[in-house]
Amino acid sequence: MVEDEELMLKSLEFRLKKDGYQVFAAKDGVNALELIKEHQFDLIITDIMLPFVGGLEIVSKVKTDPATKNTPVIVLSAVGLENVVLEAFQLGADDFITKPFNLSELSIRVKKHVKQPTF
Amino acid sequence: MDSVHYIQELFTARLPFFPSNIRASLFIMLFCIIAFTELYLYIITRRLKQTWERAREAKYKEKITNMLAHIVLYDEDDVTDAVNHFVPRFKKLPLRDKAVRELLVKELLDYHANFTGKTAEILKGLYLGLKLDRAARRKIKSRYWETQVEGIREVTQMWIREDADLILKLTDDENSQLRMEAQTAFVKLSSDDPFRFLDRARERILEWHQLVLFEVITKTRNVQIPSFSKWLSSRNDSVVMLCLKLVKHYQQLDAIPDLIRLLMHPNLKIRSKTINILGILEAEMAEEDLFNMYFDQPVEIKTEIIKAMGRISSGNYLEFLKSRTQTDDFKIRMDAFRSIKLHGAEGRELLNNIYQVTTSQNKAIINHVLDERIKG
Repeated sequence: MVEDEELMLKSLEFRLKKDGYQVFAAKDGVNALELIKEHQFDLIITDIMLPFVGGLEIVSKVKTDPATKNTPVIVLSAVGLENVVLEAFQLGADDFITKPFNLSELSIRVKKHVKQPTF
Repeated sequence: MDSVHYIQELFTARLPFFPSNIRASLFIMLFCIIAFTELYLYIITRRLKQTWERAREAKYKEKITNMLAHIVLYDEDDVTDAVNHFVPRFKKLPLRDKAVRELLVKELLDYHANFTGKTAEILKGLYLGLKLDRAARRKIKSRYWETQVEGIREVTQMWIREDADLILKLTDDENSQLRMEAQTAFVKLSSDDPFRFLDRARERILEWHQLVLFEVITKTRNVQIPSFSKWLSSRNDSVVMLCLKLVKHYQQLDAIPDLIRLLMHPNLKIRSKTINILGILEAEMAEEDLFNMYFDQPVEIKTEIIKAMGRISSGNYLEFLKSRTQTDDFKIRMDAFRSIKLHGAEGRELLNNIYQVTTSQNKAIINHVLDERIKG
């Protein structure tokens, strides 16, 4: 879970943990890429606007690396960034969620991409 | 102690014996020493205070963030029950302290902006339960426009529809920033008549503000869209321009009679936009008026009329368009050929006929117009 807003990161982390997933949180793109290198994830959720390394770069790096290219990526974007979402899809993103969003919607989408909770 | 004694003696016993320039210098030095000491003390206390405030803010921010983040964990499906569960917990915060209250409001607003559904409803319930809306209302009534804008943004973000009437009063304020915020907020918040502010708008709606309003009107969900022809007779030209854009966006055919009346408008931009929209709405009933006004208009209006006739393409004014291909003005000729082309098979046939007898320059224009690779 990559999100620079602390409150959002914490909330989404809580929610996903409540849904039974093990969550690794990163507050910026650099930290996220380090985590991706060190671990094998079932799903990556990333905000588009991030400090240092943006969400699109994360999508690009994940989808071009043979080790991670099959990991599904969901991008979070603000309303009005439709072009960026399109770009994310071109880079290989699997899904997107527009802010503001419903937490139940997030749960459903995550469930769709991660078949089995890892616990 | 000796140095203190020396300084004391310098400014008391020995001072009268010094020449006046030395005495003046001593006083200046004394003044500078006192002033710098005071300044340093002020800077140190201020920095200490700021550090203390920052630490306190960080402490409360973390506390508030944790409390808000826990909302997502709460299992209660009923929003009222969830709000009743959280309100007493948040009331334990020192909300009488303005800094803490503002911090909570900021976090609540930021958080609310990211969610819809149950979470957003609980956050709104929390905001109301903690009576933070009262503080926002006080801000809207403030004497300072910056504070008023802050209050407006707060109630808009939280969708406090009850405050729409309070905001309506500010939609025609002399301050353009405040006016813009109020108008945008009113469109979002007023459930029964979101465009009432246009009735009383005497101040100009700036062009970039028209863009913002247009965006808000067309993108906000559940805004009741009225017939914008109602405001086409407004004395405020900027209101007319905005409504013209909205008539075009919503393709309001019922506005055509009012649009025809606007063809006589003294404002060139309004006239030009009106003609453009009549063309887009394919208002055949306006063609005669467009033809009648053509010869008294400046070139920019003439070209708009020709383009509109092409979009309407009823065929009734093909001969007129053909006559326009003989004018000296290149722009008019180009638009006339394009408009003829828009008349389908009949137009193409006419273009072929003109091609046989026209000048080489016109032939080049016809070739250009008929080239499917080039969009007009």
